[in-house]
Amino acid sequence: MRKKIYIHDVSLRDGSHAISHKLDKAQIIAYCQAAEAAGVPSVEVGHGNGLGASSIQIGLSRLEDVEMLSIARENLIKTKLAIHVMPGFATINKDLKRAFDIGVDLVREACHCTEADITERHIAFARERGKEVIGALMMTHMASKEILLEEALKMQSYGAEGVVLYDSAGAYLPHDVNEKISFLVANLNIPVGFHAHNNLGMAIANSLTAVESGARIIDGAIRGFGAGAGNAQLEVLVAVLQKMEYETGISLYKILDAAELAQDKILEEIPSIKNLSIISGLSGVFSGFAKHVSRLAKEYELDPRDIFIELGKRKVVAGQEDLIVEVAIDLKKINSTNNSKANG
Amino acid sequence: MDKKQIGFLKKDCADAASWSLRLLDELKNQKLLIAGGTGFMGSWIAEFIAFLNDNHQFNTSVVILSRNTDSFKDEKKHLATRSDIQFISRDIRNINELPPDISYIIHAAASPDNRNHVSNPIETIATITKGTDNLIDSAFKLLNLKKILYLSSGQVYGKNPIQKELISESDFGSFDCNKITAIYPEAKRLAEATCCAYSSQYKIPIVIARPFSFIGPYQSLSKPWAINNFINDALNNKTIRIIGNGEPIRSYMYPADLVVWILKILISGKINTAYNIGSPFGISLKDVAEKIVHIAQTNVNIDIKFNNNDSSHYVPNITLCENDLGLKINYDVEDTIRRSIAWFKLLPEASILE
Repeated sequence: MRKKIYIHDVSLRDGSHAISHKLDKAQIIAYCQAAEAAGVPSVEVGHGNGLGASSIQIGLSRLEDVEMLSIARENLIKTKLAIHVMPGFATINKDLKRAFDIGVDLVREACHCTEADITERHIAFARERGKEVIGALMMTHMASKEILLEEALKMQSYGAEGVVLYDSAGAYLPHDVNEKISFLVANLNIPVGFHAHNNLGMAIANSLTAVESGARIIDGAIRGFGAGAGNAQLEVLVAVLQKMEYETGISLYKILDAAELAQDKILEEIPSIKNLSIISGLSGVFSGFAKHVSRLAKEYELDPRDIFIELGKRKVVAGQEDLIVEVAIDLKKINSTNNSKANG
Repeated sequence: MDKKQIGFLKKDCADAASWSLRLLDELKNQKLLIAGGTGFMGSWIAEFIAFLNDNHQFNTSVVILSRNTDSFKDEKKHLATRSDIQFISRDIRNINELPPDISYIIHAAASPDNRNHVSNPIETIATITKGTDNLIDSAFKLLNLKKILYLSSGQVYGKNPIQKELISESDFGSFDCNKITAIYPEAKRLAEATCCAYSSQYKIPIVIARPFSFIGPYQSLSKPWAINNFINDALNNKTIRIIGNGEPIRSYMYPADLVVWILKILISGKINTAYNIGSPFGISLKDVAEKIVHIAQTNVNIDIKFNNNDSSHYVPNITLCENDLGLKINYDVEDTIRRSIAWFKLLPEASILE
């Protein structure tokens, strides 16, 4: 029997980073209908940082969460409506209850890779309401396979029905993927997944390595539409998995049609591996920081690469966007001091 | 709790009393302390003793020791307002003086919720190990102490290399003590060893019980265990999702049996002996889900995801209790699920979900 791989589409969530969270109604309708027609199992919708994350600090969404989810709900029938949830940004009363009322099917409960404890209440709440819950460990390049297993076991204990390792910074090479995914597959009772970013050009290769290492859930984004250098390109994933005789249940022609549509109607530019993305991958910093770093580099007249390298040294994680300003100010001071010494 | 719910529990207690009265005669005129007495098992013990006092003149009194007795008092007013039930709101690790006329102690303090174990592993270990130490130390001063029952767990058996259909009291396997999931069973094992040490060195009369799995009144459907989730989904018309292949074999004892077994082991169990408590009727998770759908009269789907090949058995051999203590099982799988669903249907919708 051909092995089944569950493809989870993060275009309308991770892709929000790439357009500063400015998804509009027409875009959501068009893409949901295209994904539905292609037979995509689940589509994640929302602000780049997930439910409840729209804010001045990390970017305001064009549409409220409720609006985005309601629009998507109306246009998804067989395809599950999914949300990305990080405790802290989202709370049960303020966000989860409303999302469930709208009819969300699947919850990606996410946290930094060493902080699974904070997901306990959300996972329990979602399971009690009959929702499917997949745990998401982010920035997993920062932790060993043993630590990741311990955190994944916590999520399994809380009721997660799968755990996905996020390469949020696009820092993995295939051997890292194999080491971590195969270790988790061997030690968990729930399926393991992988979420790639393409900073070092490895998103598809890493996703395939994950599959070959036993992962059963793979995240992809149409045309790679995601933070920084983008994610594993969904239509390429479908094609390659088809060639490797894995079953995804997604129609290749129709997902290619969806890619055309997304390129015309949603993407401001097709994700490519820019210099900063390479630096972000090498320094192990979350790809979603790229736009903020570029903006602040201009404002403070700094080399954005220096900011990324310094952020990497400080081991910053998603949600710490305000630290970029701090780093920029510090680097500016250092530069001023150095210039004074040089001139003095 | 409303009248219907209280009536339901009284019916269960009456059924339990109908076959066990002669077994429990020694409990009459005794004072019983339940450490961790606000949980599922403690609530059942209090409920049943109240029934025995009201209907069979047992004249037994109960002291419930727990960190937080407020929610028990709020939710179970019919028990909390009785003169034969008293409360001590203290952490088992800090108590140093018990009411002097206590004759029996049931030590049930420790949450079996595996979410707590992995989120608060240090607290979990400390409550079980230091708590056991401290409770037995405190019991030293009791002049009338007849026996302590330590409620351990069927999880202490670990993974047995030879999978047996029924786990006997000597069927010990192992687990990887470096895994976060081993925290609870390892702590329980140490607590059992602690009981053995006190019994040996200071001749404290201690008996051990190893409970397996249960379903019924006073359990919460929000617990992260398969049958609780299945019933919750069925009652809310949601698809029942089985992560693995549906083959693991489990068994479920109905609490009206459980409460008699606990009390009988307390008064008649041999010192330094461990007894399994649970149902010997194994059933696969797939069959559990199907029975629930049938009994709940719902059309929800059962989605078996086949994500692992687990076909483990977690079913106790109970011949020791049957032969030595005259205990028996009165609810088979069907009865247990039927009665449980009838109970959960009595609860307001919010209580089912929360």
